[in-house]
Amino acid sequence: MRRVLLIVLCIAGSQTALGADPEISNLVTGRWGSGIEKVGTQMLDFAWQPEARWRFDDGGRLTGIARLRWQPEPGMRPSDMERGTYAEVSKPVLIGDNAELALRELYYERSVNDWYMTLGKQQIVWGKADGLKVLDVVNPQSFREFILEDFDQSRIPLWTLNAEHSFYDWLGGDWTLQLLWIPDRTYHALPKQGVTYAFSSPRLVPQAPPGVAVRLNDPQRPDDGVLQNSDAGTRLTGFVGGWDLSLTYLYQYHNQPAFHQRFVPGLTPVVEVTPRYHRTHVVGGTFSRAFGDWVIRGEIGYFTDRFFLTDNPTDTDGVAESAELSYVLGLDWSGLDDSFISAQLFQSWLPGYQAGFTRPEMDTSVTFLARRDFWNDTLIAELLWITKTNDGDGLLRPKVSYELEDNIEIWLGLDLFYGDRQGLFGQFDDNDRLLVGVKLGL
Amino acid sequence: MLSLTRQILTGTLLIPVLLIPTISVAFELPDGDEVARRINARDEGVAVARNLTMQMTDRRGKTRTRETRAFRKYYGEEKKTVIFYLEPSNVRDTAFLTWDYPNADKDDDQWLYLPAMRKVRRISASDRGDYFLGTDLTYEDIKLETRIGLEDYTRKTLGEDEVDGHHCYLLESVPVDEKTAKELGYGRVEQCVDSKIWMVRRAKFWDIKGKQLKTSHFREIRQVQGIWTQHRIEVENHKTGHNTLFIFSDIDYQHGVDDELFTQTALRRGL
Repeated sequence: MRRVLLIVLCIAGSQTALGADPEISNLVTGRWGSGIEKVGTQMLDFAWQPEARWRFDDGGRLTGIARLRWQPEPGMRPSDMERGTYAEVSKPVLIGDNAELALRELYYERSVNDWYMTLGKQQIVWGKADGLKVLDVVNPQSFREFILEDFDQSRIPLWTLNAEHSFYDWLGGDWTLQLLWIPDRTYHALPKQGVTYAFSSPRLVPQAPPGVAVRLNDPQRPDDGVLQNSDAGTRLTGFVGGWDLSLTYLYQYHNQPAFHQRFVPGLTPVVEVTPRYHRTHVVGGTFSRAFGDWVIRGEIGYFTDRFFLTDNPTDTDGVAESAELSYVLGLDWSGLDDSFISAQLFQSWLPGYQAGFTRPEMDTSVTFLARRDFWNDTLIAELLWITKTNDGDGLLRPKVSYELEDNIEIWLGLDLFYGDRQGLFGQFDDNDRLLVGVKLGL
Repeated sequence: MLSLTRQILTGTLLIPVLLIPTISVAFELPDGDEVARRINARDEGVAVARNLTMQMTDRRGKTRTRETRAFRKYYGEEKKTVIFYLEPSNVRDTAFLTWDYPNADKDDDQWLYLPAMRKVRRISASDRGDYFLGTDLTYEDIKLETRIGLEDYTRKTLGEDEVDGHHCYLLESVPVDEKTAKELGYGRVEQCVDSKIWMVRRAKFWDIKGKQLKTSHFREIRQVQGIWTQHRIEVENHKTGHNTLFIFSDIDYQHGVDDELFTQTALRRGL
C-alpha cells in the first residue's frame, strides 16, 4: 500500500529526485451502463489513470502508470472480484468496497550492449487476433466485465524481465529475439459467485446437483518458490519476404485455474471446489501479410496439460486433462475508403477429448467487424459480432464514438448477448446493456 | 540597311520575328516528364528527422492538433518513413511505419501501432487514397512528400504561373487508368512547380468525377543545411470544408537516423 501510494504521488506530478522532469499525462474515463432486460444502472465506473515518464541522459526511460477506479454499483465493485488470484506484490489496494488503487505499470527500459532491456511491471502482448486470444496469454486478464472491457485495461500487467535482441539480414530477413522471465504469480481475476459477470456456464464452472451446496475454497496457488514457479518464455519475430512471422514458446502456469471438485457426503452434502493452477507449455506462431486490399493474418498455439471440466461419473475430481490446439485465421479488407471489414475464424481442438467433457471436442467461433470513419476520423461507427457456432450463442457490439475535442472522446454502444444460457456468451443473456462513456486526456 | 528594310516590307523578316516568342516559349518549357524528373531528382538528404504539427480544422472552425516526430531515410531507392505521435495524450504513442519500394509491382509494406491495442498491425498499402489519420492528405501524399509517382500518372506542362512571387511551371498529371485513379482518389492533379528549385509550391486536385477536390499550398520554403525544405503545408478540402495545416520544425538532415527506428519493434517502444 505504501509503495503504491508513493508511486502515485510521484506520477501525480511531483518533482522527484530522479534528476529529470517527468512527462506527465492523465487519462480520465467515465462510463455508465444501463441494463436493457434488467432496466437500471448496471455499471458506473470512473477511472483516473496518471502516467509519468522520466528520460535519462544514458538513454534509459522509466515509465509509471497508476489507476484509481471507483465503481459503486453492487455486482461490479472492486470488492466483487476474487482477490486470491493476485500475487501480493501485484494486488491492487482496495479502498472500501467501491474503489481500488492499482499500480498498473512501472518499468525501466534501456539498451545494454546489443540488448534492449525492459524491467518491471508491464504488459506483454503476443498474437495477431482481435477480440479473441490464442497467444495473448502471457499476461492474465480481469474478467470483471467478461470480455467487454478494452484488453489494454483488462490485461493484468506482471513484474517481468523482458530482454530483446534484434539482428538483421539473417535468413533473408530482420529478426528480434525476446526472452521473458516472469516471477509474478498473478493469474486471471475472476468475479465472485453471484455478481453481475460471474461465470455460470457449465463450460467454465462446476455445476452442483440439485440440493447439493457448493463450497468454493481459496485457490491453491503455486508455493513461494520464485525460481521454480516463475513463468518463462521466448519469441522470435521476423519480417521475411513480405511476411510478418513469429515463433513463440511459453512455460507458464495456465492463468485459468482448474476447478477440482470433491463430494463431501453428509446430512447436508457439499461439493467442495478448489481452484488449482497447472503448468502448461505453449508453443505457437503467428503470421500476417498484405495482398492488395487484403491482409491475411493468423496465429496458432498448442497447449499441453490443460484441464477441462467433465461430468463423467467415473471421474474423481470433475476435471480431466487434454492438450489443446487453437488457431485464429483472420482476413481484413479495406477496399472501401475510410472503411475496414474483418472476419476471423477461431477453432480450438482437444486431441485428448474424453466423453463427459462439458465443452465440445472442437469449439468454433466466428467474428465479424465492420468499421467506418466519418468526418476526418472524428466519428467512428463500428459493429463487432462474435458467435460460437457450437451453441449458436454470441455477442453483438454496435458502437459509435466521436472525438468531441482534441482530448475528449465520447461514445455510445450496446452490448447484446444472445443464445443458450449454457453457452459462453448466452450465460450473460440477461446482461445486455447500453453504454455511454467519456474519455478525457489531460 | 536597305536590304533589311526590304525584307521587313516584304515580310520575309517579319515572319521569323513574330515567331520568336512562340518558339521561345516552346523551347523553354520543359515537358511534363522532365519537370517530374527534376522534382524527383531534388536533393532530399539521405535521412531527415523533424517535428510535424498537424492542425485539422473542420468547416465549423473546430481545430484538433497532433504533435508528431517524423523520420525518413533512403536505402538506395528504397525509402522508409516512420511517424510517432506525441500529443495529445489520447493518441500518444500511435505510430505509423512504411517501407516504400522502387519497384512499382511490389506493394509497399505498412504497419500501424495503436497503443490501445498494444499491437503492431499490418495494414494494406492499397489504402493509398485513404486520408491519413484524419488529415486532408492521403497516405500516398504523405509517402511521396510532393514527389511524383512516375508510374501512376501521365504528365504534361500546361504553361507558367506564379505562386507567392515565384515563377512556376504548371504541371498537369492524369492517372494512367481508371483503376489507378480510384486507388489514388484523384482524376487530375495540377502542380505549380518552382522553376528554380523544383519544389512544388501549389497543388490542385480534382476527384475522379472531375470536381475540384482540394488545394495544397507549400510555404516557407527555405534551405536547411543546404537542402530546400518546406516548413508549412496548407491543405484545403473544397468538398468537406475541412483543412489541415502541417508545420515542420526542428529539421535535421545532418545527424543521421538510426536504422532501428524503422522497425516494428521501434513502433511498439515509441520514442
